Amino acid sequence: MTHGQTPSDADWRRALTRFVTAITHTRELGLEVLEVTPEVTTMRLPWCDDLLGDTARGLVHGGVLTMLLDTACGSAVLPALPAPEICPTLDLRVDHFRPGVAGRAILAEARVIRVTESVVFTEGILWQEAGRPLARGIGNFVRLGPRNTPDGFAEALFAEEDDHA
Amino acid sequence: MREGFDNVEWLARTRAEGDVEAWLALVPYARRIGVSAVSDDPQGEGLLFRLDPREGNVGNVLLPALHGGVVAAFMETAATLDLMLATRAPRLPRIVDISIDYLRTARVVPTLARCSLLREGRRMGNVRVCAWQESEAVPVATARLHFVLGDPAEAGA
Repeated sequence: MTHGQTPSDADWRRALTRFVTAITHTRELGLEVLEVTPEVTTMRLPWCDDLLGDTARGLVHGGVLTMLLDTACGSAVLPALPAPEICPTLDLRVDHFRPGVAGRAILAEARVIRVTESVVFTEGILWQEAGRPLARGIGNFVRLGPRNTPDGFAEALFAEEDDHA
Repeated sequence: MREGFDNVEWLARTRAEGDVEAWLALVPYARRIGVSAVSDDPQGEGLLFRLDPREGNVGNVLLPALHGGVVAAFMETAATLDLMLATRAPRLPRIVDISIDYLRTARVVPTLARCSLLREGRRMGNVRVCAWQESEAVPVATARLHFVLGDPAEAGA
């Protein structure tokens, strides 16, 4: 991305990849950003046995789904704002439709529903097999505003692209 | 004896012994984030759970702070295991929903949680969880969860 330009979807995909790579927990689990538009962000959590919540029955830990929805919804917030701001999770609600099963990646799609002066409202959905959702999440994020966002946050998100521009 | 939540005898025995560590051994994600049960609660008001402040649980390196989703996974683990001990008979809880409110930044220090079973019906249970770091009076997050209370004999089929 060159200065003064609106980031493209590809710029945002690289920026959110940097964002989830800077999060120790999701970096170690190998979370990938697949696609980003101002409205929708898609991610993929590759399978590893540490995601299990019940070894005997081979079921995914429900908390993995909550963690993934928090990450996907929290990331989707950034491209929906006029400029990147730090937005911590205010609250999160997760409905578990069916258990996740061992051995398959988990996909996440997060969508920004509405941005107000102080809050960003989001929704997310997870699946392993298309058309068979595992869980739905509703997450609200607080806008801390430019004043409480560290200097250089936006630059850090897009730094690599600037170097190549 | 084969270990597993779907083994009725194993579940009944570990439950009678209050062997939460045996249960945690079968929950890989809880082990990864470092959940343990704290037995000696000085107030003697039941079981406490603890989340280890490990590097892999960080969600914001600038602050630094724990990942909110990891805190939620910790609270869900605590609620599930606490429920398995607290029900009238051995049950296999299956989560229906969780709602979590983040009250303060969770720093990278030990986090504790206490659960209360607000209702045990024939099919459903409602659990409230409070998580804190420095003092129980200053919670970092609260959550409420619904579980279906499964029959362990049916799960073992």
